Amino acid sequence: MILINNQSKYMKNHLLSLLFAVPTLFMGTLSYASPTATEIYISIKKGRFSPSEIEIPADTKVKLTIENFDDTPEEFESYDLNREVLINPGSKASFYIGPLSAGNYKFEGEFSPETAQGIVRVK
Amino acid sequence: MPHAIKRLFCIGLLSFTPLIHAAEYLSGPADYIYSPIVEEGEREIDTKFGTQSPRNGDTTRQSGASIGFGYGVNSWWFTEIYGKAIWDGNTSQFDAVEWENKFQLTETGKYPVDIGFLIELERPQNRNEGYEAKYGFLLQSEWKKWQANLNLLMQGHYTGTENQGTYLGYQGQLKYRLQPEFEVGAQIYSWLGQVNSWNTDQQQQSSVGPAIFGKTKLGRKEAIKYNVAYLWGTTAASPRNTIRMQAEYEF
Repeated sequence: MILINNQSKYMKNHLLSLLFAVPTLFMGTLSYASPTATEIYISIKKGRFSPSEIEIPADTKVKLTIENFDDTPEEFESYDLNREVLINPGSKASFYIGPLSAGNYKFEGEFSPETAQGIVRVK
Repeated sequence: MPHAIKRLFCIGLLSFTPLIHAAEYLSGPADYIYSPIVEEGEREIDTKFGTQSPRNGDTTRQSGASIGFGYGVNSWWFTEIYGKAIWDGNTSQFDAVEWENKFQLTETGKYPVDIGFLIELERPQNRNEGYEAKYGFLLQSEWKKWQANLNLLMQGHYTGTENQGTYLGYQGQLKYRLQPEFEVGAQIYSWLGQVNSWNTDQQQQSSVGPAIFGKTKLGRKEAIKYNVAYLWGTTAASPRNTIRMQAEYEF
C-alpha cells in the first residue's frame, strides 16, 4: 500500500512537471520551429485597406502585415477570421490567419467601417 | 528593448511578489476562463457574477461578484484591477482587490497553440489570508469555427497565517463560433489539490457544463461581450452546481 502511494505521488509529481514543462519547452523551441508562412502586405490610407481583396490558398497559414499611414488608429476586425488587431498611426502590425477552408472571409476597420472594408478569398 | 525581453522583465518583476506563502483553492463562483490573446488599446469595464449551491446539505447558496477595469497596454500586456464581493445567505462583504496581468507570449495564430502567461495578485479583506496569487500558462487553439482553451494554473496565499499551501488546477473551454451574438460551448474548472500532495479523485474540485457566449456591437469601438455557464460538480468536494456569468463593456 505504501509502495502504491509512493508510486502515485511519484507519478503525480511527474505529471505536474510535465504540465508546466510542455508550454515552456514549446516556447523554447519556437525560434527553431518557426513555420514559414506566405506574407501579405496591406496598407491603410484615408480609412481604406489596399488591397481590399486578397486571395490565398485553402489550408495554408498566411501572415498579414498591415501598415497604417493615417494619423488616426485603426483596428483590423474580422469575426470570420477571429482577429481583432489595433494598428497605431504610422505603424504596422502583423498576425497570422489560417489554415482556412475555401470561402470568403470579410474584414473591416472598426474605426472607419464605412470605408475600410475588405475580404479574404480562400481558394 | 526587444519585446520578448520586456515581457520577461514584466513577468519576472511580478513573479517575485508572491515568493512567500499561504491559500484557499476553491474556484470562486465568479471565476472565468482566461484567454492568452491581448488586444492592444482595448478598454473594458468587466463585471462577473456567480452563485453556487454547496453539496453538504446546506441550502445556503454562496455567491460572488466583481467589477473591474481592464486595459490592453500594448500588443502583449493586458492589465485589470477588480473589486470583489461575496455573500452567503444574508451576509455580504467586500472580499478583495485583485490585479490581473496577462502576457501574450506568441504572435496570434503563428503556431498551432497561442500561449500566454497569467499573474494575478489579490489582497483579501481578511488580512490573515495575506496575499493571494494565481499564475500559470494560458493556451488557446482554433480550428475552423472551433476554439479551445486550456489553462494550467497554480494558486496560493502568501505572507498570511490562514489557508497555507499552493494548489494546482486547470480550466478548459471548447467553443463553437456560430455567430457573433451567440456562440455555444462548454467549460470545466478543476483544482487537483496541493502541488506536492494531490487530493484523491473525490476530494478534487471539478465543475463542468455548457456555456454560451456572444458579443453585440453598440457603436464604433463599443461593444458588450457576455458569457454564461451552468456547471455541475463532478466530485464529492465540488459545489453541487454553479451558475456563472460575465459581461464586459468594451470601449
